Amino acid sequence: MANSAEPRDLGAGVGTRPARSPRSFFRRWLLPALVIAAIAGAIWFLEYRQDGASYDPSGRRYGPVDLPASLAPADAAVEAEQGDFAPDFLLEQLSAGQVQLSDFRGHPVVLNFWATWCAPCRKEMPQFVDAYQRYKTDGLVLLAVDMQEGASIIQPFAQERGMNFPIALDRDGEVGDEYRLLGLPTTFFIDRGGLIRSVFTGPLEERTGDTNVQGAIEPGELEKRIAEIMTPAGAAGP
Amino acid sequence: MGLLTPPRALWWLLTNVRFAMALLAVLCGVSLAGVLIPQVPLNVRGDSAMEANWLDSQEGRFGLLTAAIDRIGLFDLFHTGWFAVLLALTAAATGAYILSRCPGVWLAITRPRKRVPDGYFDNAPVRAQAEGPVSLSNLVRTLRGKRYRVEVTPEDAVTYLFADRFQWAQLGSLLTHAAVIVFILSAVVSKVDAFESPLFLAEGTTLPVFPVRNPEQLQVQLLDAHGEFAADGQPLDYRSDLAIYRNGEEVKRCSSTVNSPCSYAGYRFYQAAYYGFGAEVQVRDLATGNVVYQETLALAARQSSPHVVIANSAGQTVLDQTLVLTEELSAGDATYRGTLVTLPGGRLLTIGLRQTQDGADLAVFEPGSGGGTGIALLLAEGQTGEAGGLRVTYARQSMTPAADVADFPSPPEAAAGRALGEAKLQLSNVVYGTERASEGNGPAEPAGGPPRLTITGLGPKPMVLEPGQSATVGSYEYKFLGQREFAGIQVKRDRSDYLVWAAAALIVLGLMVTFWVPRRRLWARISSNGISLAGQAPAHADFARELRSLAAEAGARPVLTAEDDRA
Repeated sequence: MANSAEPRDLGAGVGTRPARSPRSFFRRWLLPALVIAAIAGAIWFLEYRQDGASYDPSGRRYGPVDLPASLAPADAAVEAEQGDFAPDFLLEQLSAGQVQLSDFRGHPVVLNFWATWCAPCRKEMPQFVDAYQRYKTDGLVLLAVDMQEGASIIQPFAQERGMNFPIALDRDGEVGDEYRLLGLPTTFFIDRGGLIRSVFTGPLEERTGDTNVQGAIEPGELEKRIAEIMTPAGAAGP
Repeated sequence: MGLLTPPRALWWLLTNVRFAMALLAVLCGVSLAGVLIPQVPLNVRGDSAMEANWLDSQEGRFGLLTAAIDRIGLFDLFHTGWFAVLLALTAAATGAYILSRCPGVWLAITRPRKRVPDGYFDNAPVRAQAEGPVSLSNLVRTLRGKRYRVEVTPEDAVTYLFADRFQWAQLGSLLTHAAVIVFILSAVVSKVDAFESPLFLAEGTTLPVFPVRNPEQLQVQLLDAHGEFAADGQPLDYRSDLAIYRNGEEVKRCSSTVNSPCSYAGYRFYQAAYYGFGAEVQVRDLATGNVVYQETLALAARQSSPHVVIANSAGQTVLDQTLVLTEELSAGDATYRGTLVTLPGGRLLTIGLRQTQDGADLAVFEPGSGGGTGIALLLAEGQTGEAGGLRVTYARQSMTPAADVADFPSPPEAAAGRALGEAKLQLSNVVYGTERASEGNGPAEPAGGPPRLTITGLGPKPMVLEPGQSATVGSYEYKFLGQREFAGIQVKRDRSDYLVWAAAALIVLGLMVTFWVPRRRLWARISSNGISLAGQAPAHADFARELRSLAAEAGARPVLTAEDDRA
């Protein structure tokens, strides 16, 4: 009987599972795994890629740096608070090179955090320009730290307004973070000894005549705060 | 059936198909209600006073039911706790169903039933029979040719065969169910993680996306805002050209429209609003040469401006203009807002407008006229009158974009102790939405020419500037840099988008697998008398035809069954 012989004709492959080929493994497991990994990688790349930190030509990282030990007693508080030593930082300068806050030790420093998009910053800036013109011969340093903007935006703004003082670029906002800014503008008045004598959050825009600008300060307020830090080192305690 | 423990009862409930169907029906009904019943607007939510006002406004529609509808949350349905519970239950039921089905499906895929009772060949819903000698090798070859997995079991005088194809296709329905869970998960991710920030930018200006100090800070610069309009003034399209900055570097330059946002680093920048009337003004201190003020001001208010046509006694038109009104005038008991007009030849007129209940009256003043009031003519809109050899037509009343700027810089010496004062800015000779493009002036202005900025409040006379022109008051130079447009840019990031895409892909994949590659399983009983075939496959696979064809391939003669007759 032909039919009775059929099972014997089927050969060894019939009734057994064929051996798994490398191609089958690729199709079943490797390819889907690669597709999933590619999708996950694409999502990660889109979501979390960050531009790296920037460094000065000598390889020092821009951002907050430790205050040199020679510039503060060992137990001194280094915080962005009134009465404490101003935290040190190294930043790229708009004009060229870099600027480090502690390099100005011995000078009174007005440290202003600002940005071109900040309307109150724009309004108060002419007063800083005036004040700098008046006091720079007495050693006043005005250091304007721009928050997270680039030179192409800041340069024309600074040039038009006659901002002839150092402008530092806090590109990733780390220095602003160290100084715990609540908003812009914020100004720190630092005396010759490196101590923060006062902090002003908001525009230092002097109130004059019948102007009712919200947040405006009394006439002479900027002058008064500058006078506080102009005193010789050691003449006034924190 | 004994009593179920609480976890088992919950599991039984969640895996119960009727419960799932009921849940879906309730969810559909509730969602429909959420579409039909007005929902509290986003800007009202969370403000109790505004919510109360909004509810009052709904009483006209829902009457006494308003309070009850509000109490059960139907006015804010998609944010209620019970709606979230419904969604969570649906997700849990779907997840439980998938889990409960997984072991069975896996077993059916990896260890399918290879032998069925002989009676099944007579009762299977899909079956075929054939008589005569059968070539098993032909049948096996045919099945393998059709990519079936085949197993043959000889048993005494009978040989049993099992074959299946597309065994993994059984996962298709699980994929579709998993998609429901991913959809719900995406809603949760969206709720927790989504970011949205509106920016209102003038051309040439930059704004940050996040509050200061954010390490992921992005800045958006509006390079150009563009509005396109139909001839009847209807907007056709708005577009914004943007530059995106991160860490001070430009990282992207792109165009954004309402339907085609610009994207960077997972954030999308949508065109959300457009405003055409802004003026960029610069003030320079001539003593130092420094700019002390440079702002783009949105002229969001409207100032009535009459369009007046004046012809002389010879019939020549000596004035055809929309007048910008700059002065407060009083005539008798009435107050007018007016302006001084100089006609060719140096003749001076003062033209004023007084708002009335019916519109506005135009008054033409000339010294010595009107019995002491100085009014030579008083015209309603559309009227024409003659006085002093002039034919004056008050053609229509139009509006001029305007703004009162509280802290506009006045020169220090202009008035003692008044460095910042209030100025009124008006932008004339501009048209919004009555031409095909938003740039420049429009054909509706017969005078044509560039936009004109009128500034009052700086001195005794108004200052009228065209783009690029400047005027000096005291030690300050005022320059009109040009008309600027504004764009509202909505910055959004919603990482649940990826989940929505994944869920959509799962649904499509699941449906494609289910309908295009349905799993087929067949069992055959081969004896010397013939072959009996029984199969299982979804109804749309037309498996009965395939079974008959297989029997014929095996060399047997098909036997017609009652089902075949009906077919």
